[in-house]
Amino acid sequence: MLIRFWGTRGSLPVAATASIVQEKVAGALLAASGRSFADLDEARAFTRNELDFATGGTFGGATTCVEIAAGDPDAGDPYILCDMGSGLRSFGLDAMRRCAAGHARVYHFFMSHLHWDHIMGFPFFVPAFDPNAHIVIHSGHEDAETALRRQQEEISFPVAFDWLRAKIEFRTLKPGEVYQIGAVQVEVMEQHHSHSSFGYRFTDADGKIAVFSTDSEHKMEKMHGEADVEAFFGNADLVICDTMYSLADSVSMKEDWGHSSNVVAIDLCHGARAKRLALFHHEPVYSDADIARMHAESIRYEELTREHAPLEVLCAYDGLEVVL
Amino acid sequence: MRKAEDMQWSSTERQGCVVASPDGRVDEATAQAFADHLASSVTLAAESPGRKLVVDFAGLDYMSSRGLRALTLAKRQADTAGVTMALARPNAVMREILAISRYDKLFPVSDTIEGAL
Ligand SMILES: [Zn+2]
Ligand SMILES: [Zn+2]
Repeated sequence: MLIRFWGTRGSLPVAATASIVQEKVAGALLAASGRSFADLDEARAFTRNELDFATGGTFGGATTCVEIAAGDPDAGDPYILCDMGSGLRSFGLDAMRRCAAGHARVYHFFMSHLHWDHIMGFPFFVPAFDPNAHIVIHSGHEDAETALRRQQEEISFPVAFDWLRAKIEFRTLKPGEVYQIGAVQVEVMEQHHSHSSFGYRFTDADGKIAVFSTDSEHKMEKMHGEADVEAFFGNADLVICDTMYSLADSVSMKEDWGHSSNVVAIDLCHGARAKRLALFHHEPVYSDADIARMHAESIRYEELTREHAPLEVLCAYDGLEVVL
Repeated sequence: MRKAEDMQWSSTERQGCVVASPDGRVDEATAQAFADHLASSVTLAAESPGRKLVVDFAGLDYMSSRGLRALTLAKRQADTAGVTMALARPNAVMREILAISRYDKLFPVSDTIEGAL
């Protein structure tokens, strides 16, 4: 199983401004003081290998979209995707390239929920205009079709949903059931969020497990219910978790905003004996340095509270690929 | 797995304030006991002349998010009862956890009991 992150930001897409890029370049020049590079390749290698990620790279600004590559595309296995945030646009372009090379034109989407940051990429999803494409949209919500049609009404978007050329179907999934879809088994969990949200657990034929759990608040008053969440995350090779706020913010000013923290995500993954956690749904006001600091602190908290095997804490960024 | 009884708890009164001293570590197994003890300490503090609860962290090894969230629930109860809460004497690990979780912004944290009173 291979997990590709196409969009990792929460709530609103963000882009680097001129002053942000200038800060990165200035930081890189300072780090390279006294060095000289024979060519662009040497300079690239320095950027990749010696600069910290917040200086030499970026976590990106596209909203949530994650690809779960499982099975064998050469044998016709379909695409599996979680959510349709603005990151979906880049996936769609890449998928067109892969389809031209023979990939099946079948797309299974699993929707955490229908808030704008999780559906805004669909009107820009090029495969939806491919008459040979088959798109199946799985959701815990029964109103997924309403949400997707509504965002393409004339008042909001020039291309109506009915003008899309692909064959598009909607299927409602239920918690407690196990579904075989494409090359994965899928289970669903309802989560606490405005208008509700759903987490998905994917298991492939090799027994590799990835869990997608975003926009999920773990309420203080319902801590006893976290045993169910830990069971859902149980022994996962990767858990992708909403870690938008600090714990203090999530229980005070931002209580009931529907999001979770790095600290709670680590505790849940420890309890679940998960192997890896990907911090996800990054706060749009956070700079790359803020996210990098949150990542470093998360790794430290994991060490301080570890009682069993180590949990690897990754920080998702647009373009990250994780092989399970 | 440790049992809830493993959470030791003692409480004294100093300068009219309640000083509560949990002992051990607060994790999944002991979080409920920790929360219950905190709740009764808030009740006790509400009847004390200083209307203040100092949670003495000196005996605590570490605390997971469950313990931290129990502190928030206690603070809510304390706010309603007109009791102020402060944390004292966290060890190096607890100090880091309070910083990472940003709980050092929700509660005053001091190095001594006297400083917290
Ligand atoms: Zn969101
Ligand atoms: Zn949401």
